[in-house]
Amino acid sequence: MSAFNAAASNAMSFVRRGLPENRWAQAAVLVAFWLAGEGAVRLLPIPLPGSLLGLTALLVLLSTGWLRLSRVQRGAECFLSDMLLFFVPAVLAIMDHREFLSLLGVKVLVVILASTVTVMIVTALTVDLSYRWISRHEHRDAVVE
Amino acid sequence: MNIATQLWSDPLARAAFWSVTTIVFYLFTKALYRRWPRWWLLPMGSTPALLVVAMLLLDASYADYIRGTHWLMALLGPTVVAFAVPIYQRRALIRRHWPVLALGMVVGSMTALASSWAIATVLGLDGTLRLSLLPRSISTPFAMTVSSEIGGIPDLTAVFVVATGVAGAAIGGVLLSWLPLRSSIARGSLFGMGAHGAGTARAYEVGAEEGAVAGLIMVLVGLLNVLIAPVLVHAFQ
Repeated sequence: MSAFNAAASNAMSFVRRGLPENRWAQAAVLVAFWLAGEGAVRLLPIPLPGSLLGLTALLVLLSTGWLRLSRVQRGAECFLSDMLLFFVPAVLAIMDHREFLSLLGVKVLVVILASTVTVMIVTALTVDLSYRWISRHEHRDAVVE
Repeated sequence: MNIATQLWSDPLARAAFWSVTTIVFYLFTKALYRRWPRWWLLPMGSTPALLVVAMLLLDASYADYIRGTHWLMALLGPTVVAFAVPIYQRRALIRRHWPVLALGMVVGSMTALASSWAIATVLGLDGTLRLSLLPRSISTPFAMTVSSEIGGIPDLTAVFVVATGVAGAAIGGVLLSWLPLRSSIARGSLFGMGAHGAGTARAYEVGAEEGAVAGLIMVLVGLLNVLIAPVLVHAFQ
């Protein structure tokens, strides 16, 4: 057990000091976080996707100061700036669904348009009203003090 | 000609062909959108559109295409991990506005799920199609996870997510001029909640603060929906 602890703390200190500035090496680190997450959800009874566990772990390490932002920032940009490319293949599934070239497709489009308009209006008004309510109350509290 | 036919029948060469074609089309539409930023040129929609044309011309099947390009989709895994960076960078925004952001995300998610379900039901859509429509307001890597969790078809959800993004980027600007929104946080959440990635790109055109809020909402709403997916299974089945 102590050997395991020593190995773990060695690995941690490597992560803290040894990570390079190179963005591809940083991208590889993010891949390692993902694979570790996938491995962990397979071994342990965690009801989360592995990638989300990796995200949580990375966020905890950043927030506690174990890992500096500069050690992963460039790698993260690699993935995030071209995220669109990664899900293009899934969209081509439309080729196997020619049934949407009919009234069915029009219906689906109506659902998407009407629901999107609803979501946008409801969300924006909720946020705007609650934001104004909170700032009014903060203002009043400030006056009372 | 002979060499070309031989190459085309080789699965590895075909896989490489579709991967390269996808990447080239993506880079092309990205450059095109940078030059002419119109909603119908969004790479999110125009890249798949060009690929559909290419597949029809070459008479290729989706099974054939996805065999060669599946590795690109695997990169969505580390992409989700990478979202930790923008969340961490915007921690000050979260700390200051968390009640408003949380309320907006919960109300927005409920509205997205309920309105999709209700409108689909009214139009006579049901089964896996209706379930696949539910998570379309969240970013693709999260939407596909939720879709498979609640019994939808993840690939189909990806198509609906893209349609939502393109439509939302187009509609959002119009709604913005109609609604009496006084705070940038409300304008940003309109785009982030309604049209995820494409909406975030559009929100940055409105303002830096709107863009930051939209990006943050997009990520957190994705996480929220993945976390509540087990509950949704019971609610919608």
